Amino acid sequence: MNIKTLINRTLFLLFLASNYSCEKLVEIDSPTDKLVREVVFNNDQTAISAMDGIYNELFQADFSSGSRSSVTVLAGLSSDNVQYLNSGNINMMQFQEHEIDPSNPGNLQLWTSAYNIIYLCNSLIEGLENSSSIDAELQQQLEGEARFVRAFSYFQLVNLYGDVPLILNTDYRENALKTRVEVDEIYNLIEEDLLISSETLSSSYRNGERTSVNKFGANALLARVYLYQEDWQKAEDYSSQVINETATYEILDNLDDVFLANSREAIWQISPIGGGGIASNTNDGSMFIIDPFFSFFATLKLDASIIPEFNESDIRRQNWVGYNSSKDAFFSHKYKIDASSEFPIKEYSMVLRLAEQYLIRAEARANLGKINDALNDLDVIRKRAGLPALTEITPGIAEEELMEKIFRQRRLELFTEWGHRWFDLKRTDRTTNVFGNNPTWQNTDILYPIPAEEISKNPNLIQNDGY
Amino acid sequence: MKNFYKRGMLIIMFLLAMALLVMLAMGQAKAATLSPTIYFYQQEITGKVSEPKGKPLEGVTVFIKNKRVGEVTAADGSYAIQASPGDTLIFSFIGFKSQEVAVGNQSTINVVLNEDIASLNEVLINAGYYTVKRRERTGNISRVTAEEIDKQPVISPLQALQGRMAGVQITSGGTNPGAASTIQIRGVNSLRSEGNYPLYIIDGVPISSIPVESNSLLGNSGLDPLNNLNPANIESIEVLKDADATAIYGSRGANGVVLITTKTGLKSSKGLEMRAYTGISYVPGKMDLLETPRYLELRKAAYENDGIEPNASNAYDLLVWDQQRYTDWQEYAFGKNAEVTNANLAFTGGKDLTSFRVGGSWFSQGTVYPGDYNYRKLTGNLSLNHSSQNKKLNLQVSLNYGLDKNQLTGDLNVGALNFLPPNAPALLNDDDSLNWTEWAEAGIKNPLEGFFNSNDIQTNNFITNAGISYEIAKGLTLKSSLGYTRYDSDEFWKLPARSYNPAGNPINRSVHLNSVRKSWIVEPQLVYNVRFGKLNMDLLLGGTIQENTNSRQSLQGIGYASEALIGNLAAAESILNAQNSTVEYRYAALFSRLGLNWDKKYYLNLTGRRDGSSRFGPNKRFANFGAIGTAWIFSEESFMKDHLNFLSLGKLRASYGSTGNDQIGDYGYLDAYGATRGPGGLFPTGLANPDYSWEINKKLEVGLELAFWNNRVNLGGSWYQNRSSNQLVGYTLPAITGFGSVQANLPATVENRGTEIEFSSINIDNLNFKWQTSLNISFPKNELVRYPGIEESSYANTYRVGEPLNISLNYNYTGIDPESGYYSFQDVNGDSRLDYQDRIIVEDRTSEFFGGLNNSLSYQNFHLQFLWQFVRQNGKLIYYNAGRPVNILSGYNTDDFQQPTQSYQGALAYSNAINSSLFTSDGSFLRLKTLSLSYDLPKQFLQRIGINKFQLFFNGQNLWTITSYKGMDPENSYDGNFIGNLRSLTAGAQVNF
Repeated sequence: MNIKTLINRTLFLLFLASNYSCEKLVEIDSPTDKLVREVVFNNDQTAISAMDGIYNELFQADFSSGSRSSVTVLAGLSSDNVQYLNSGNINMMQFQEHEIDPSNPGNLQLWTSAYNIIYLCNSLIEGLENSSSIDAELQQQLEGEARFVRAFSYFQLVNLYGDVPLILNTDYRENALKTRVEVDEIYNLIEEDLLISSETLSSSYRNGERTSVNKFGANALLARVYLYQEDWQKAEDYSSQVINETATYEILDNLDDVFLANSREAIWQISPIGGGGIASNTNDGSMFIIDPFFSFFATLKLDASIIPEFNESDIRRQNWVGYNSSKDAFFSHKYKIDASSEFPIKEYSMVLRLAEQYLIRAEARANLGKINDALNDLDVIRKRAGLPALTEITPGIAEEELMEKIFRQRRLELFTEWGHRWFDLKRTDRTTNVFGNNPTWQNTDILYPIPAEEISKNPNLIQNDGY
Repeated sequence: MKNFYKRGMLIIMFLLAMALLVMLAMGQAKAATLSPTIYFYQQEITGKVSEPKGKPLEGVTVFIKNKRVGEVTAADGSYAIQASPGDTLIFSFIGFKSQEVAVGNQSTINVVLNEDIASLNEVLINAGYYTVKRRERTGNISRVTAEEIDKQPVISPLQALQGRMAGVQITSGGTNPGAASTIQIRGVNSLRSEGNYPLYIIDGVPISSIPVESNSLLGNSGLDPLNNLNPANIESIEVLKDADATAIYGSRGANGVVLITTKTGLKSSKGLEMRAYTGISYVPGKMDLLETPRYLELRKAAYENDGIEPNASNAYDLLVWDQQRYTDWQEYAFGKNAEVTNANLAFTGGKDLTSFRVGGSWFSQGTVYPGDYNYRKLTGNLSLNHSSQNKKLNLQVSLNYGLDKNQLTGDLNVGALNFLPPNAPALLNDDDSLNWTEWAEAGIKNPLEGFFNSNDIQTNNFITNAGISYEIAKGLTLKSSLGYTRYDSDEFWKLPARSYNPAGNPINRSVHLNSVRKSWIVEPQLVYNVRFGKLNMDLLLGGTIQENTNSRQSLQGIGYASEALIGNLAAAESILNAQNSTVEYRYAALFSRLGLNWDKKYYLNLTGRRDGSSRFGPNKRFANFGAIGTAWIFSEESFMKDHLNFLSLGKLRASYGSTGNDQIGDYGYLDAYGATRGPGGLFPTGLANPDYSWEINKKLEVGLELAFWNNRVNLGGSWYQNRSSNQLVGYTLPAITGFGSVQANLPATVENRGTEIEFSSINIDNLNFKWQTSLNISFPKNELVRYPGIEESSYANTYRVGEPLNISLNYNYTGIDPESGYYSFQDVNGDSRLDYQDRIIVEDRTSEFFGGLNNSLSYQNFHLQFLWQFVRQNGKLIYYNAGRPVNILSGYNTDDFQQPTQSYQGALAYSNAINSSLFTSDGSFLRLKTLSLSYDLPKQFLQRIGINKFQLFFNGQNLWTITSYKGMDPENSYDGNFIGNLRSLTAGAQVNF
């Protein structure tokens, strides 16, 4: 008899008399600070809280926070709009130099946070599907909001990384080994989600603030998606739906008002309230503004190449660009508050705004050959910036030149917002023109590397070329 | 359901039995007070005292118990003393076991005193639910007693154990008072760092060994939950190591068990005991860093090498700051002396059937850091024992209470201060405000940001235990223990605006954290002892029901109008991040032990436990654990006795069994939503796996114990092999799943094996001079034996099969590239990039061996004890990054290290070099861990003034370290900047009345 069987037999004997279980003795109450998922989706109020939780987390999630590892900052560095002040910071410089190491921590945070938000959305969508006790209308509304956020997150991922894994449920066993799927398939999901959102979401903001998503938010993102896919007609249609909603949205004359909380130009914003802390400023503000006296907090500046692009009469140069003499650096001054703990909160982080819709429509229309309509749309942006209307100075502009003008306005209007410039350069194949002189530039740099840590955990993920 | 009734009946029966016992006890207690025995007359008692071989003993103290009357024997061993028949005589002599003799009707009492040296193997060892003689034990239990602990100037008793036990490795949590030490019993068993805590049991009551959460500087290590114990009130600490000893703790025994027994009135000498000491602690050494001229020289060389013109924004230390200025930042950061003071008072008393001990202590310790901060602790304890006249009923109660107040600097990054450029400007202005302007000129923030923050942590710890036992029939005892513990900590972190740069518009803030740990436990037991001829049998059957409730609350207050109002929440502009949570843990078990021995030669010990824990999903809550232990005392065999009579003990023992590990967060199996930081939101906080289950640890041990020449020399060796499988880990997942990990059982096996040797000897033993030596040494080996599919797992770059868990994967350093002047490494797969595939060198960070060598010497009334601690291990020291605006070690030279540079490529090469063998150095050390010297004033003199004992003592800690390691403390040989141990010098006195 070996030792094992001896022990087993002994144990058996020892517990013969007491061979029963004591389930009751080890049953415990639920924790006070947590709700089991089924409970969350049994009640309207907690279901709403689950959606509000996603909005809160968007401010915490790196990719959408506007902070160090956000799309705004990292894709800004990769474009020709933003530079890092301290060249000794290897991890940040890698984005600027297009030499991103697959183990770069910022890149990992970018990726990780986006998939975390996608999980939250999937969990909510599943929870709503399995629930029978939530008001049907509310159920549709919340599902629409979650689908929008999911689509938005995938939009960022697909533009940063190319093919990415498509995760549509919370089953980690299945998802842990997912492979990357083609860009088109990701876009199919984005389109599907957004079309559902567009259909089910109400026209008003659910919580009265522009931090929840309404129908026009879905339409605005759809317009951008179609633009990126060069489906010009749909891009025009959906941007028109937003632009025509004049009761809710307008291009503000005062540039200093654009980024205020619930500004009438805003279609969707993320509130710093999601940080839950004492700070009430946006991360965009604290990242980009260089304090006149205490410049050592600063990490970012505007790339010098953008400054001469501003026409002398362009009031965006005055209102949206600052200069710090001790660092001899220009900085983005769209947000005015770099540090604050005042409530109510004055500025929200802008995600979607009306000006972009005009630029989308201008580009779509130009591609559709509607040059005059395109000029009119572009002029809305130009006039607000104090520039002369093109309809007056160059009414018969050639399409190619008009395209250039639109792209220039996209750069000057949307700089330091959500990596627009980087995505624009990529989708229009201008990266080689802009970065070609840089000895470290390679054509494969248009995609960020899949984080090395992800590949080591999921061997089914294949690295992008060039890394 | 049938089972449920059976179980219910059993519980009810136990409860009824308990109630009966309490009633009996009360009745007995009444009866006990009714019959005092009084004797009136005295007579002269005479006699002789001799040693076993008949030689008379001169100088033996003969005194009457509880009376201040004493005599000393003459040269022929004779004595004469006046005593009543009710008195008890005590004969005591150094080197011999004291003996008590009741006078009764005798007028002549001759006494033979036995030498004390046999006691080592006769001593009773606490095995938790039972006790066992050291000689007869089948398991592996290490023991440290009061004498080795009680005078050490430490806060947590754990800190006093360093180097004293084989197989037990304790690493200091740092120099901030109250930081939790790390204790590892026979290595790392779990892949989860939080799954390697042993089980702590104080007087039979389990308390959580997980360090208490803190927002303070102690946040990394956490607060030691044993801080509030009084080390001077500890009778013994036993550490249970092998399966035989730990299996009776079932699912909680995998990482070993630490049993702490406090002093009772039973064993202590009666009377009043007072003790106090005071002294200082300081950081014993500094790193040898560069002074200003050499530092600036290297900085300049860096710009030359890089071909870059220094300017005010990248080379402020060269162009903006004073070129002559020199500050020893280490001196600034931790150059102070910390005062330490301790006072102890204990009173022990009682009569035959009742005894008690009551005591209290005060402890205070300053810090070595700038600012006026300190740690203070107050403890109180009470222990009461009572037995009925017929000794069938025993009652025992112990209470331990501790209160400490830890005032710490709120934010001080000592690690960053040390390496500031030596010509950096002052951190504080003349008016003691923070110097922002001069640092701002350089474009960096003052490293002392947060300096005026403070952190007050107050903790209360109450541990109580009541035990009651009744001998139902001869050899059959029913007993039960009841325990209750409550630990709470209250933390207040004050962040005044003046700690921060005015540019950020800082406001006055406070952060509050409050946590409470409560638990109760009931353990009814039935003990049966019986003899059948040469067979002796001990049977134990018992059950456990335990419930823990942990709760925490935290919040922040902001916008206080003035600094004085900080913390007054009513005066806060708003309250943020208010969070609270309560978690429960319930545990139920049945356990048993069967101990058999035949003729005191052959021993068999069977232990088992069935455990249920609420930490697992409904289908995985129960499991069985058990062990078998055997011993053969071959020296008792006649053939040994006849031929090898110098061998006083020869024993072979072996054990095998299984234990479990349920150290895992509560409710981990629930798919749950928690509150977001932002208001009004809920979100899933993690992935849920309802099916995870216990980690199983199977332990095998073989041991040999020998004692020679009447136990003068003891030698023990044990070999063990512990295998942890079914690893319960936060299994790391790719982020695409939404989270980084999920709790799951991994098909991985971690093995700890090793050899431990313990040796002790009495080198010299005569009337005036006694010298004892003890040595323990452990050779641990740790190995990840099995991990199917590790390449595809998240641990691919963390662990290697066949290697220990504590490793680092390194590049192969190939020297300094003569072209670039930078470090270069082997690009193994030739893809022109350095990544994990090129990290082919495995660096083992486990200690090769460690141990302690203790000597204790007595000469007349002088006692000297000193402990050498030694560790053989590797280390790493990386502070040679020349050319950057940070200070470096003065050992820098351009032959061994890359040229000074501040370029990106240079920084990259340096950061890769950290992950190579370049900076590896020997982290071994030999340390004079403690030295204590004491002097007892002569007894004859003291007895005249009514004092039993008056001792003066001196204690030194970490007095001398021999090492080639150039970092702060070789104990932390992979973090050269971490100060683990302070040197302490204390002196004091002890008086017993």
